[in-house]
Amino acid sequence: MNGDDARDGKGAEGTPTDSELSARLRRLETQIERKRPQAAPDPSSRPRGTGPSSLGQAMTISTEFVAGVIAGGILGWIVDHVFGTKPWGLIVLLMLGFVAGIYNVMRVSGFAGARPGRRDRQEP
Amino acid sequence: MAVTIDPIEQFELKPLVSLGHIGHQQLAFTQSALYMFAAVGVIALITIVATASRSVVPGRMQSLAEIFYEFMADTLHQATGDGGKRFMPLVFSLFMFVLVLNLFGMIPYAFAVTSHLIVTFGLAALVISVVVIYGVMKHGSHFFGLFVPSGVPKPLLAILVPIEIISFISRPISLSVRLFANMLAGHIAMKIFAFFVVQLLLAGAWSVLSPLPLFLTIALTALEFLVAALQAYVFATLTAIYLNDALHPGH
Repeated sequence: MNGDDARDGKGAEGTPTDSELSARLRRLETQIERKRPQAAPDPSSRPRGTGPSSLGQAMTISTEFVAGVIAGGILGWIVDHVFGTKPWGLIVLLMLGFVAGIYNVMRVSGFAGARPGRRDRQEP
Repeated sequence: MAVTIDPIEQFELKPLVSLGHIGHQQLAFTQSALYMFAAVGVIALITIVATASRSVVPGRMQSLAEIFYEFMADTLHQATGDGGKRFMPLVFSLFMFVLVLNLFGMIPYAFAVTSHLIVTFGLAALVISVVVIYGVMKHGSHFFGLFVPSGVPKPLLAILVPIEIISFISRPISLSVRLFANMLAGHIAMKIFAFFVVQLLLAGAWSVLSPLPLFLTIALTALEFLVAALQAYVFATLTAIYLNDALHPGH
């Protein structure tokens, strides 16, 4: 995804033919098109990245879910401690934690929640 | 034949200088702290010393520093827009700190600081407190509009607001657990697979199989280098994305 493939024209040393030149021109145009949204970033309509960042995204998803459950559990435990509602706070908030975990996963993977900046994890 | 290893032994904290006791808890300058100081030293070397000359045509070290800086500036700008520039020092420091510590952990016999949950949780707690404090300072109570999704019928809010709050609380947990778990699991896996080589070599005729775990260990080492860099990047990117919520909470 860098500028190298614009300059790799194989027959460029001799006299390039018309078709070669127009092919290079087209390649350059597509490259410029690819660069353009980066020059003027628009938070809502950015393409999803590939390469290292999507691998990073894959690693994000599992912990997002677990973290939701853990956060719900901790919160429920605290609520029980403070208000003395022994099992109920943990039960209810653990279930909400599951929901929050799934919600996290959906948001990270881009199925829900169009909060700007949440799903535009892409290579700069 | 009974050669055993303890794959968790590498994560043990070893006090280098004891500073006294609080109750039964020893306060000590551990090798973990030493590695953190070393990381800060290396980062200072890359960023301050190498760019001291400020030449227009950068030297080797200066262009290294410029690559890191521009990479993070791009990431931050994409996540937060123009208003996020003021967080560049924070995000850049976090990225470099985590990256250098992760890579230190890849040196044989070195200690991986980021494989301790308390270290990564400390960093994540720093990020989230910056988000909350800056968000409340800048937007006041409007910041808590973050927990109220827009365009939702009123009765549903009773369920959605707690979910949003739990989801927010889960952020420092997922931020710290991700980095910690990746480093811990990677180092344990490398140790175990490397030990398979030794065990197979000692197992008589089975030793013909010993190159297999050796190749796997080599592949795992390469993967761990990737993970070390990637996790630092993910940490910094998520920091930038969370800071975006502090800058533009109204959604």
